[in-house]
Amino acid sequence: MDLRYLVKELWYRKRRTLTATIGLAVGMAILITMNALSAAYTEAARMPLKEIGADITVQLAGDVPENLTGPVFACSAVTIRKNDIDQIRMLTGIQGFAQALLVWVFDADRFTIVLGLDPSNPDGPGVLRSQVTDGRFLEKGKKQALVEASFAKNFNLKTGDTVSVAGETYPVAGIVDASRATKIAVAHIYLPMEEAQKMAAASKQVQAVSPFGKDDANILFIKAAPGQIDALAHSIKDILGDRASVATPASFLKQLGSLFALSDKFSLVTSLIAVVVTLLIVLKTMAANLTERAGEIGILKAIGWSNGNVVSQIVGESILQCFIGGILGLLFAILAASALGLMHVSIPIPWEMSPTPHFLPGGGDPIFLTLRLPVHVSWKLAAFAILLSSLIGAVTGGFLSRHSARIKPSEVLRYE
Amino acid sequence: MNNRNIISAADLNKTFDALQVVKGVNLSVKIGEFISIVGKSGSGKTTLLSLLSGLERPSSGRVTLNGCDITDSSENELALFRRNTVGFIFQSFHLIPTLSAWENVALPLFPVKMHIEKRKERALELLRQMEMEHRADHRPATLSGGEKQRVAIARALVNKPKVVFADEPTGNLDSATSEAIMDTLKSLHEDNGLSLVMVTHDLDLAGSSDRIVRMQDGEIVS
Repeated sequence: MDLRYLVKELWYRKRRTLTATIGLAVGMAILITMNALSAAYTEAARMPLKEIGADITVQLAGDVPENLTGPVFACSAVTIRKNDIDQIRMLTGIQGFAQALLVWVFDADRFTIVLGLDPSNPDGPGVLRSQVTDGRFLEKGKKQALVEASFAKNFNLKTGDTVSVAGETYPVAGIVDASRATKIAVAHIYLPMEEAQKMAAASKQVQAVSPFGKDDANILFIKAAPGQIDALAHSIKDILGDRASVATPASFLKQLGSLFALSDKFSLVTSLIAVVVTLLIVLKTMAANLTERAGEIGILKAIGWSNGNVVSQIVGESILQCFIGGILGLLFAILAASALGLMHVSIPIPWEMSPTPHFLPGGGDPIFLTLRLPVHVSWKLAAFAILLSSLIGAVTGGFLSRHSARIKPSEVLRYE
Repeated sequence: MNNRNIISAADLNKTFDALQVVKGVNLSVKIGEFISIVGKSGSGKTTLLSLLSGLERPSSGRVTLNGCDITDSSENELALFRRNTVGFIFQSFHLIPTLSAWENVALPLFPVKMHIEKRKERALELLRQMEMEHRADHRPATLSGGEKQRVAIARALVNKPKVVFADEPTGNLDSATSEAIMDTLKSLHEDNGLSLVMVTHDLDLAGSSDRIVRMQDGEIVS
């Protein structure tokens, strides 16, 4: 293969080179963009759980509280027994595990959402540690509270004050701006887990609807090993039964509904069409080029080029042409991804994951996590597209050159 | 001229479908000899040239070129043989339009492992010989017919061939340019002792050769 000849053939046959290169570039740009868009939706669907430091959240549906006084459980988050929790904790594929306790407290003077958490666990609600705006985070074993910023403002609470919930008084250790962190498991007051467990265990309303032991919980946050999310979700449902509500990125993708389904299937179909159309464009352009150059190939053979020399020259031209097309396609796709990255997507949060009772003002409103669509072209996708372009070049060049290399040099003389 | 043969053809026959184009040809060309094959259009002279040069395989008979029997050689063996032993000049020049004059001259050397500078040096040396050095970087579209044929002659010589086959080398040129090209070919033959086999229908041009072989209906008649 002679590089000088190869480059000049592409350079001086501009129309053909441009047709093949642009055709391939457009095909590759569609393939890259659609896959980047699909990956962006998948990534966006991870965000609601990622914000709460988990890949999976687990709740158990139960009965509606009979009487809304004192501490009660939401019907979407009733008791998960300690032995079930221990069984889930032992499942293979779990990389991080946190449990929490969500309690609605109907005191005479106000309604409070309380979330019990383990202050020493960085997973799950432990991510709130980075959202403390005043004072400090909770400490394990200390009877204290962390107050959500808007709740603190409404009730004029500051670090160092005390706050009363369900007849117990807690010193305020700090203020946390949970609204910046998450839409799930957001509460008015955060307590150490054992304090919340004591509160739930002592509540007649809780015990009447969903018997609760002092080591039980009602929300689990799980970090899964790569590729283990679906298998874990399945195993958890096996342990907890049909009433288990197991949220995974896949369930948020379902929430995105037809928009994602369209994008996902559309991206697969358009990617396949793009590759096939690209292959046909390159094939047609190359075939026309080689037909036009049949005499030239005959001359090369007459002056001593072997079949192998001819094949390697044509394959080299085809690969280089398609490689350039792939690079160009990648540039188009990066521009398209930048434009699509300006779009916002609203991910609906299922009502059962909303901590606010739906019967309170605003509680029944649908909640969304709105974020910029994280469209970016990954190195893997870029490398795949360039490799695929070069492969298309090699396949079309190889296929067509085998035929061209069989041209008899004497034919050139005979038809002269 | 040497007494040894550079080309020997024995009882050559070539048939395309049912049409016999070359019939029982026996022909020898001596080292350093310049022969012309003449005949009317369709007499089989170009096919005979293809058989003698290894571009085409005979239907029967044998061809020995530079001491090698090439009759049963494979395609790739023939390609290698042509690269090392023969040069071709065609009526329509057949230069590669995307390459410059010197690159066209160096084209037979592309598959050879040789440094680009050496290739260029060799091509420029031949273009100088053809008084075409000033056009070395021009592409064929910008050259006249005579210039193109000089580039084609230089290309035929770049691999230092033992024998050059020319098929109507002046067929596409005006008479003045044809004369100049014939002078070039004659001087290559006389000064360098190059063996030359030329196909032409022009008896005046054939007059410059050492021997004229006449063909009629696929047979050598004199």
